[in-house]
Amino acid sequence: MSFLTIENIKKSFDNETVLHSLNLSIKEGEFITLLGPSGCGKSTLLRTIAGLIHQDEGKIHIDGKDVTEVKPKDRQVGMVFQSYALFPNMTVQENIEFGLKMKKLDKETVKQNAAKIVELVELTGKEKSYPRELSGGQQQRVALARSLVTRPKVLLLDEPLSALDAQIRKNLQKQLRSIQQELNMTTILVTHDQEEAMAVSDYVYIMNKGQIAQSGTPHEIYTRPVNEFVARFIGNYNVLTREEVSNLFKGEKNFKNKMYAIRPEAFSEDRILDGYEISGKIQKTSMLGNITRFELEANHVSFIADRLHKIDEDAQKQETKTLYLNRKDVIPLS
Amino acid sequence: MILKRMNGMFLISIIPFFILVLLFLFVPLFFMLYSSFQGDGGSGFTFKQYLEIFQNTYYHQAFKNSIIISFFSSLIAIGLAVFATYSITLFSKKIQDRILVFANLTANFAGIPLAFAFIVILGNSGLFTLLFKHFGWDLLNSFNLYSWSGLVLIYIYFQLPLAVMLIYPVYQGIQAQWKESAALLGASPLQFWLRIGGPIILPSIAGTFSILFANAMGAYASAFALTGSTYNLVTIRIGALTTGDIFARPELGSAIATLLGVTLVVALLINEWLTRRIRRDLS
Ligand SMILES: Nc1ncnc2c1ncn2[C@@H]1O[C@H](COP(=O)(O)OP(=O)(O)OP(=O)(O)O)[C@@H](O)[C@H]1O
Ligand SMILES: [Mg+2]
Repeated sequence: MSFLTIENIKKSFDNETVLHSLNLSIKEGEFITLLGPSGCGKSTLLRTIAGLIHQDEGKIHIDGKDVTEVKPKDRQVGMVFQSYALFPNMTVQENIEFGLKMKKLDKETVKQNAAKIVELVELTGKEKSYPRELSGGQQQRVALARSLVTRPKVLLLDEPLSALDAQIRKNLQKQLRSIQQELNMTTILVTHDQEEAMAVSDYVYIMNKGQIAQSGTPHEIYTRPVNEFVARFIGNYNVLTREEVSNLFKGEKNFKNKMYAIRPEAFSEDRILDGYEISGKIQKTSMLGNITRFELEANHVSFIADRLHKIDEDAQKQETKTLYLNRKDVIPLS
Repeated sequence: MILKRMNGMFLISIIPFFILVLLFLFVPLFFMLYSSFQGDGGSGFTFKQYLEIFQNTYYHQAFKNSIIISFFSSLIAIGLAVFATYSITLFSKKIQDRILVFANLTANFAGIPLAFAFIVILGNSGLFTLLFKHFGWDLLNSFNLYSWSGLVLIYIYFQLPLAVMLIYPVYQGIQAQWKESAALLGASPLQFWLRIGGPIILPSIAGTFSILFANAMGAYASAFALTGSTYNLVTIRIGALTTGDIFARPELGSAIATLLGVTLVVALLINEWLTRRIRRDLS
């Protein structure tokens, strides 16, 4: 039973179609991520769900109710922006209590709910501070708390962590996920960062040009891209044409699809039974932290192969390297 | 090294500006202060001029009139401008730019030409006065351009476009996402403006009020052209004392001008203090 459904949502801005008949459905308590290049319509989709943008066509249901024509303030949707959008004239406490006061709850309830959330996002002691006195990470937690405190049915997060540095971002990702699970909050996160998408979500939706290019668990998305766009967008897949694959695996003739994808770490230096064998000439070697990346050429086809970094690195430029590959790791793309 | 050189460049390029400020701001200010403590004709240091102002009800009245007309014309102009400017921000960018050009134009339309324009339109035999009379409505029964209400009208007229120009950028400071967040948290637009938008723009509105107040306190030509020296305003008094209808007393004029400056500073401080009481996050 899906909790949030988006049916055939279309939206254009000045004759430029941003969302093309988009469909999406999410179960209660699920954490999904929208991942896609800049300008593909992620924010537009979120804002449409929140009611801040009116779609040209299509329907939105939340918790069994048609909210297509419901105003943002009555949709019970919470949203957190990249820029935090905290009210600068209010303290942390006042920011968090704002939504509860708008609901005209009695003073005692407001106080209790706010206190609970302050503790949940670990802002105890900062209640009387003004937003400008907080760090970026703290401000973003206030923004999160402000949205969570009203217990919205759906929480929308538009690149909430993009403005923060890597360390704080990692911590907040974990915190976000655990808070989401604790409250069983149905959540949609928009991000540019595939690692973040893979790390926190139940399902990942890859968006391209206003459409969903692929959806699935992080594992499915990462190991089985279905089309060229996803393969190029995710990881560092080698994306090769039919001719290139045939050349690479000399003698193999039964490649039917137009495009194929191979993960760079799928290549192995150890012999694989019934696999492909490739001898490639090393063009370039680069160190990427814990992995070493080889740019190779075999039968006039260039490709990259990754391997865990070894202390006594021995490979030389122009040296020939023999690599092996499982048949199932050559992924056909549509 | 590079930083030092940049500082050097900066100093060289700022020197002409400082000279200008010195010549046209500090030197006159200094002479005004100096002369305000002189007896008539420059006869040595004395508080006599100030004493005279404090004892003479005629000058009290000038200050009172100036403050009242400045306060009310600023208040009305700012009240109108807050709403007018908000509606301007709802237009497309192109129309907004045109309205601003128009505001800029009208804000600079002040002094004698403005008074003359009003006389032509709303004076005793002004265009509209006659037109209304033709339709059977005698404007002169309810409105007299050469009176207090006429003066207030002219003041508002030149204050309003200035207020619009000063408040326009203030609205640009309201982030769309504040509005959106507030809406998603259940606030109506009115609640947004009362609890968030209003308090955020308040300091700028108050600052604009100070500028308008100072602008009105220092206005001279429009009032003079409209009412001659019959209407008792501080600037008209200073004008009379320095150019001298009957006999010039520049030292007394300087003392009045100094007090005018003090009034503005006091107004500014009160304004600042009030603002900080309402926006606690600024202190
Ligand atoms: N209010 C608007 N008016 C006109 N065009 C708009 C508006 N909002 C978005 N667009 C256009 O819609 C397209 C999608 O924008 P959107 O903000 O949804 O992208 P996004 O996927 O969120 O990108 P990013 O990752 O950069 O945030 C863009 O081409 C943008 O120019
Ligand atoms: Mg976006």
